Amino acid sequence: MTDSVVKKTQDLNLAPGLQPRLELLAERGYPEERCGLLLGRVKAEVTWVEQIREARNTDSNPRKRYNAHPDDILRAENRAQELGLDVVGIWHSHPDHPAVPSETDLESAWPGYSYIIVSVYGGESDALRSWRLKDGKFVEERIMT
Amino acid sequence: MSSIQVRIPTPLRGLTGGKRMLEGNGATVREVLEALEGQNRGLLEQLLDETGQLRKFVNLYIDGDNIRSLNGLDSAVQPGSVISLIPAVAGGLPSASQRRLAELRQRIPEISPGEAHQFLREGGIVIDVREPDEVAAGSPPGALRIVRGFLEMRIEDKIPDFDTPLALICGGGNRSLLAADDLLQLGYTQVRSVAGGFSRWKDDGLPVDIPQSLGHKERERYSRHLLIPEVGEKGQLKLLESKVLIVGAGGLGSPAALYLAAAGVGILGIVDDDVVDRSNLQRQILHTDERVGTSKVESARDTLLGLNPDIRVVTYPVRLTSENVEDIFANYDLILDGTDNFATRYLINDASVKLGLPNVHGSIFRFDGQVSVFWPGRPGNPGPCYRCLFAEPPPPELAPSCDEAGVLGILPGVIGTLQAVETIKVLLGLGDPLVGKLLCYDALTAEFSTVRVDRDPECRYCGDHVQSFPGYVDYEQFCKGVTISESVR
Repeated sequence: MTDSVVKKTQDLNLAPGLQPRLELLAERGYPEERCGLLLGRVKAEVTWVEQIREARNTDSNPRKRYNAHPDDILRAENRAQELGLDVVGIWHSHPDHPAVPSETDLESAWPGYSYIIVSVYGGESDALRSWRLKDGKFVEERIMT
Repeated sequence: MSSIQVRIPTPLRGLTGGKRMLEGNGATVREVLEALEGQNRGLLEQLLDETGQLRKFVNLYIDGDNIRSLNGLDSAVQPGSVISLIPAVAGGLPSASQRRLAELRQRIPEISPGEAHQFLREGGIVIDVREPDEVAAGSPPGALRIVRGFLEMRIEDKIPDFDTPLALICGGGNRSLLAADDLLQLGYTQVRSVAGGFSRWKDDGLPVDIPQSLGHKERERYSRHLLIPEVGEKGQLKLLESKVLIVGAGGLGSPAALYLAAAGVGILGIVDDDVVDRSNLQRQILHTDERVGTSKVESARDTLLGLNPDIRVVTYPVRLTSENVEDIFANYDLILDGTDNFATRYLINDASVKLGLPNVHGSIFRFDGQVSVFWPGRPGNPGPCYRCLFAEPPPPELAPSCDEAGVLGILPGVIGTLQAVETIKVLLGLGDPLVGKLLCYDALTAEFSTVRVDRDPECRYCGDHVQSFPGYVDYEQFCKGVTISESVR
């Protein structure tokens, strides 16, 4: 895991109220993984997240993995376009596991997205951290709210 | 004609110069994408695989419809439609094994295949812990090969010093980490893992050795040999390549041939010109009652191939003579003498001396048996020949044969089996074979004793003054008529 993670570089700004909402969604989904999209803008190396959308987790093993329903991603893209925003990242929960990207996350990661992970232990959200691919590894982003 | 809009998601905008929307033309999705490629190099490659199919981690929508539910890339598009590129969004928790490997990577040093190669060349020990099937397809030259399942059990025999620097290699660098942890727990202090394993070793163009190895069936058949470190896979392969000639398919030849066939001696030659007689069956366990009257070598072959169909049995339904002995012996690594007539015994001795072959000798009389290995041609440490022990045959009245004197049927079983043991020892270079020693067995007292037999420097056949082979003699005459039918031993 340390292999795929290096020190913080970029910043991510969460609009007010989004952090508690993400935590609530993650807790509600426990013990399964929940996932969705982040809508916002990237300006001057800072990602501004204005809205979040939930997507259905279609994975056959939702306690261990997530796979966002592509229709829901399309809807998020449509919504972002209406609002003049972009899909700027993904969020998902890690039930009973730290808010650190796994090898599985790394394998499926896209460059240019922020990846917010919410850890939930025993149904209680614990940490919320954000990550971004850089040179094939995850770099942690500093979160500002 | 109004064009078709293609919506690009954030991760792919690097390929479109940051553009969110592209415009293209075409009647199908594929045509539109291909038309875009000219302006956006690499975009098509991101979306389609080598066979031109849509990659799994991308979905394409025409307005609200996923093309996977339409006609795929050949789905028709209408002017004014919007094609959306939708990246697959997935991930998950690390599996338990990923968590463990991540933890091991924190504390077990990893080296590159190049570094491991250098380490190996400087005399370092690299252990290939992969399965036999994988090793069979190639392994680092000079690597120690111990399958991970037996690593803890076998390592100490091979590497007694716990502070020896070791590097472990597997297929991709994960099993070697797990194996390294096992060795650390055993007490080895300098254990490293080769990152990327053998697949990176090959990719980096490092040398590959394709070791000989046993197949699955052989591995099963010889598993009890493979468990003995002194034999192991290397020894078993040696046995499979070995060629042993057994002279006489009788009392001594029977147990010897059975055990050598079972042990996997690759080629067994059998010389005997006789047919099976009912009186043989009291001791000659290669044969069966229904084969009475049939060729002994054929009977032997049927029995031996029934026991182990993977070996080759070469039959010589002839009497061994001065004329044919060298032609026959030349194809073998070792001669096992299962005769009890003196003429053939001297002929075997003389030809073995001439060709430098080890001659594993056995003889029996009623309740007594003797075993020795006559081997003047032994490299570095020559032993005596049969003539050093008996320069001349005893007078016939003092050396009656089995059909004259009788023999306990089990006795050749003991002696022939000991000959088989000595044969395996010589073939594998194990222990102390009975070179320069005569092992004597007395069945009545149940005692074994060993008598030293020295080389005779004056021996006419193997002594110090022998300039050239003195030639074969008339063995029948030499033994003064002490010849007994070869089939009765």
